[in-house]
Order: sequence, then C-alpha cells, then structure tokens
Amino acid sequence: MPAPAAHPPIPQSRYRLTRQADDAVRRMSGALARQGAGAHPIFAFLGALGGLPQPIKELSESLGLDFAAGPVLAGCRITLHAPLQIDRDYTVEAKVAGLERRPSRAYGAADHLHLAVALTEGGTPASEIALHIVFPAPEAQ
Amino acid sequence: MTDAPTFRFGPVSGADMARWCALLNDDNEIHLSRDAAEAAGLGPLRINPGPANLAVLMNALLDGENEGALREVEARFLGNVREGDHLCARRDGGSAALYRADEEAPLLTATFRFGDQE
Repeated sequence: MPAPAAHPPIPQSRYRLTRQADDAVRRMSGALARQGAGAHPIFAFLGALGGLPQPIKELSESLGLDFAAGPVLAGCRITLHAPLQIDRDYTVEAKVAGLERRPSRAYGAADHLHLAVALTEGGTPASEIALHIVFPAPEAQ
Repeated sequence: MTDAPTFRFGPVSGADMARWCALLNDDNEIHLSRDAAEAAGLGPLRINPGPANLAVLMNALLDGENEGALREVEARFLGNVREGDHLCARRDGGSAALYRADEEAPLLTATFRFGDQE
C-alpha cells in the first residue's frame, strides 16, 4: 500500500510540442486542420503525461501502485490559460495531489491517484490538468 | 443531446493506439496487446487510450473558429472504447457525450467552457 502522506517531488521536465505530433493527433481524432500555430487542445493532456520525466508506469510503480493490474482513467479537469502552440517548448511541473485507497465495487479495493500537471512557457502558465487514475488493488480484497 | 449534428468517428484504429501511447509515454499493454486486454478482463480487443477518446469528443464542439477559445474541460471516463468501434458524439450546449454508435450508454461525458477568442 502506498504511503498516505508526503510523496517525493517529481522533477521538472520539458515538453516539445511539434507540428508533426499535432498533425498526427488531428488525423487520428478526426479533427479539423490546424489554423495558424494553434495546437489541438488535447495537448494539455498529451503534454502533461508525455512530458513527465518518466513514463506513467514508472511513476506509478515508484508510488507503490500496481500498474500491471490495469489502471483506469476515471476523470480529468483541463484548464487552458491560452491556446497551446506548435513548435514550442513547455516546462512540465507535476505533483502527486493525492493518493488514497478506497473500497471498490469493481475491484474490492482500489488506489486513487490524483496528479496535477502544469505546462508553462517562460514562467507563464499555459495549461493545467488534474488527473484521476484508479488502480485495482487486488491484494487488499 | 441534440442541439448540434452528431459527430461521427471510426472505426477506431488499433494501429493508432500505439501512436497515442507513444505520444503519452504510456506503457499500458491493454492499449497495445489483445492478449493483455483479455488478461485484464476487458475482452479480446485492444482498448483505446482515454485521451484519444477525449480528443474525439472535443472535436464534436470545435469548429475551427472556437478552438483557441477553449478554456476548461471536465471529463468523466465511464467505459472503454475498443479497436474497431464506431463512435458518435452528441453535444448539448456546453456538455457532450461520446457513445459507441449502436449503444445508449455514454462512454465519456464532458463539460466545456469557452472564453474570449485570442
């Protein structure tokens, strides 16, 4: 079971939002063509997770979570302070906002991970995301 | 949920799931391997990453003019999208929901807030 309180800080990292990635996302999601330099808003999510200094699997396991159990994305809240832009480098600042084990109808018990990730550019906030990921905790059943 | 035409998307590509995973730096095998999806009790087909579903739902509200004005999205992921699925998204004002084309239960719901255009 993960420790309930303080979690090690997640090192700051960088995310390069490329036009190639935006082109791919638009093609893969049926989006309209890009206008100007504006990236698809889903990059608030992609930049947050893809820009972490380690894959979400490694981050989860470092917190004692069972990634192999099949985590489920439960929800997210995205705030865009301004449109994200292609061909820009963003600073990625992430922290564990919460981690708790709760009873689960589906799994018996589950660990609820809350991650908060912000993208900034030159110190100016660009986007924020609050992620809620649920990890089955079968050993607690 | 009928204040705008239904946005349709599909079939969901299994090959694209690997591309989404690369963008997300996500190693979750349920997106990459049918065996892994089955072993996880999710059936014999790969599972689309949640952000890929959210991108499709966003597109139901984005018209090219308002994309830069999107300010907030709050989403709840309620069900899995599988490779081969045909999806439809329906909007109702600032809310929208994503469905498998022949089903009534939403797989994803979200509320959207737009601000002033930049």
